[in-house]
Amino acid sequence: MRRSLAAACVAASLVACGLPGTGPAAGQERPALVAAAADLKFALADIAAAFTRASGTHLRITYGSSGDLARQVAQGAPFEMLLSADERYVLDLQRAGHTRGEGALYAVGRLAAFAPHGSVLSLDPDLRGLQSAVAEGRITRFAIANPQHAPYGRAAREVLERLGLWARLQPALVLGENASQAMQFAASGSCQGGIVPLSLASAPDIAKLGRFERIPAEWHGPLRQRMVLLSSAGPAASAFYEYMLHDAGAGRTLARFGFARPEGR
Amino acid sequence: MEWDAIRLSLSLAGWTLAILMPLGVVLGRWLATARFAGRHWAEGLLALPLVLPPTVLGYYLLVAMGGASSVGRWFQAATGTTLAFSFPGLVVASLLFNLPFAVQPIQRAIEAIDPDVREAAVCCGMTSWQTLLRVELPLAWPGILSAAVLTFAHTLGEFGVVLMVGGNIPGETRTVALAIYDRAQSFDAGAAGSMSLLLLVVSFVTIAVSYGLGSRLPGTRRRR
Amino acid sequence: MSLRVEVRHDRPSLDMRLELPEGAITSVVGPSGSGKTSTLRLVAGLWTPAAGLVAFGGETWFASASGVNLPPRARSIGVVPQRYALFPHLTACENVEASLLHLPRAGRTPRAKAALARAHVSGLDGRYPHELSGGQQQRVAVARAIAREPRVLLLDEPFSSVDRSTRKHLYGELKLLHAELGCTVMLVTHDLDEAALLSSHLCLIRRGRLVQAGSTQDVLARPASAEAARLLDYGNVFRASVVSHDRARRLSLLDWNGVRLVAPLDDRVGPGQPVDWAVSHAEVRPADAAGQRPGDNIVPATVRDIVTLGDDVHLRLAPDHLPALTLHMKVSRHVAHHRHLSAASPLRVRLTPSALVTMAPSEDGDAGGRPHE
Repeated sequence: MRRSLAAACVAASLVACGLPGTGPAAGQERPALVAAAADLKFALADIAAAFTRASGTHLRITYGSSGDLARQVAQGAPFEMLLSADERYVLDLQRAGHTRGEGALYAVGRLAAFAPHGSVLSLDPDLRGLQSAVAEGRITRFAIANPQHAPYGRAAREVLERLGLWARLQPALVLGENASQAMQFAASGSCQGGIVPLSLASAPDIAKLGRFERIPAEWHGPLRQRMVLLSSAGPAASAFYEYMLHDAGAGRTLARFGFARPEGR
Repeated sequence: MEWDAIRLSLSLAGWTLAILMPLGVVLGRWLATARFAGRHWAEGLLALPLVLPPTVLGYYLLVAMGGASSVGRWFQAATGTTLAFSFPGLVVASLLFNLPFAVQPIQRAIEAIDPDVREAAVCCGMTSWQTLLRVELPLAWPGILSAAVLTFAHTLGEFGVVLMVGGNIPGETRTVALAIYDRAQSFDAGAAGSMSLLLLVVSFVTIAVSYGLGSRLPGTRRRR
Repeated sequence: MSLRVEVRHDRPSLDMRLELPEGAITSVVGPSGSGKTSTLRLVAGLWTPAAGLVAFGGETWFASASGVNLPPRARSIGVVPQRYALFPHLTACENVEASLLHLPRAGRTPRAKAALARAHVSGLDGRYPHELSGGQQQRVAVARAIAREPRVLLLDEPFSSVDRSTRKHLYGELKLLHAELGCTVMLVTHDLDEAALLSSHLCLIRRGRLVQAGSTQDVLARPASAEAARLLDYGNVFRASVVSHDRARRLSLLDWNGVRLVAPLDDRVGPGQPVDWAVSHAEVRPADAAGQRPGDNIVPATVRDIVTLGDDVHLRLAPDHLPALTLHMKVSRHVAHHRHLSAASPLRVRLTPSALVTMAPSEDGDAGGRPHE
């Protein structure tokens, strides 16, 4: 008797688990699936919310490093639109036939140096504070995104090389898997600081955790951020693409997060 | 609190259990009772997901079912969607990385059955199937329950393989473990914290209840 | 129509042919490792040797020559394993019902209860094995084995794990049960006394070979070889030579290295030929002090040591004419006391003539030349 009761309990809970389980929400029209570079985390959330309010269409956004997302697209991930932080990934995908056309530049990214409250690192526009801190050996942990597949990581490396700090800082580098993980490391208090996207450092939730200083754009190769519709894009994705391209509010939001306008726009 | 992610995780665990429990019984019983030359190699192969880093598993799974593989292409032709980065792909990955959790406890429980009892069943006139249903499964029930609990908890917690094979797509492959990671990265401590607490409570209650049920079954007490 | 069993196998080494008469209880007796359990498992279908045969009542259950090998459930057998192997997760009644799965569900419980009643264990139907005493478990195991009304019942040392008083009850119940059912019973045991009490036929085996088989009375009273005599616990097994046979008085005269012995007539061995002989240790008695008459089987000896075990006194004697040998003797305590038996003292003993057993000499050398094991 007890045995069948026990069996019934277990079976019922299993069935309860499995029931909704035809997987993702079926029935409704599937929202557009968008892949976006990690530096857009806060900016795109605002823009997408505005888009949904205006059009009633929902978006599902996945953030990651541009290189990672491009790889997934190449492997057949069902994304409909890609907002990359480096146009090279987009153009590579276009050559491989995964995209509809070349897409369009939507922003130019900017870097910032960030130091959490209580850090020994002092920030100034020329980053002299950083240089002296490194020279004095006071930097033991410094966060950047992984240069291998995150454009902001590559740009951070260029900045450090230009300042002659790359070699010295090597053993202290903490590599984030994407730009927002680098931001998390930098702001967590376990690093003395880091070089991160300006769009993340200046976001209200993060800015209150420390201080940041914008890094001159000439110090690194330009972060030409390109977006493109992918082969499987549906009407919702196309609508959002148009919105990003033309809507004034979207442009203002990007500017608010420190993105520069791409040339010609 | 991302309810979508929670529902997705439970759904993944549910499907894994539904497919893997019968499979675990079949494989566990076979390994417990069969005697053949390469048995230890078979057991080793089965135990691989226990010792391999999830990234190795994820890598090989992508190679085996990604868009470039024959399996992936067959699936795409058959259903129109890719196997990787989809929920069915997650289920396939989940079946593979949970195999040792489902098979080993059941195998051990069946091995622990007194061979005299199994022979007595045969001498009573039972067929192999009847022996399995009436003698081996009831006596191995705690092992089966253990396998189910471990599989369930492990599926809820799996991160590396899910990320590599599934890609963190909201509503499709973004399980609660990935959602927590994501929310933490976005400095959304509230959401990360509440989902983590929910996972903790669910896992704890499941395990405690299953131990309680397991100890009350009559077959478990008397073992010489 | 008997149960015929033949087996030839390498490891364990087995080579024998047994025939168990239908409807009788036959004991298969031998020391551990003699192959009795393997033989039982062969009949049950749980083990397949390299070569062999199991046939009963016109059916062939196993024949290596023709590739026939029926699984246990196709054989009309019931098995009571040594440790009973009851299903721990089922009640007593459910354990017996497990043998009755071929019946429709409604018919199982009444049949199971009937079997339990037959095995003298009613009223415990709802108890689980761990709630039953050893004797009750044994009876439930028996009920489970007989529920299917098998024609052959296989018992593997079924009384070895119960205490003595329970065992006595169980013996009686088994005999009653057998009388009711009339099935052929193969009782595997290492206990000769048990075999003597329960079975009408006896198969003595040792090291995978059949030593002697026949009716229990015959085998016990007339071992056919020195090996059989040793297995049957005749403490004293020796070699002598035949002097003559006296058919008129139905006696045989033997010469045991100079000592003349008289035994019941056994003219299988001619005069002058060697012969093995045995006498039970209970039939070696202190001789009367008075003179010796021919035919008294007096053997002068010296007591080596004395051991008192309960009411019995066991003595080991060295015959004067063959001091290297050991003659075993058993007397009651009061006799030992009355006769002042003590170690290192001389003692003349009388071997009861009618109790001497003569056997054809075995090929593996003499039984009398070496000290008794």
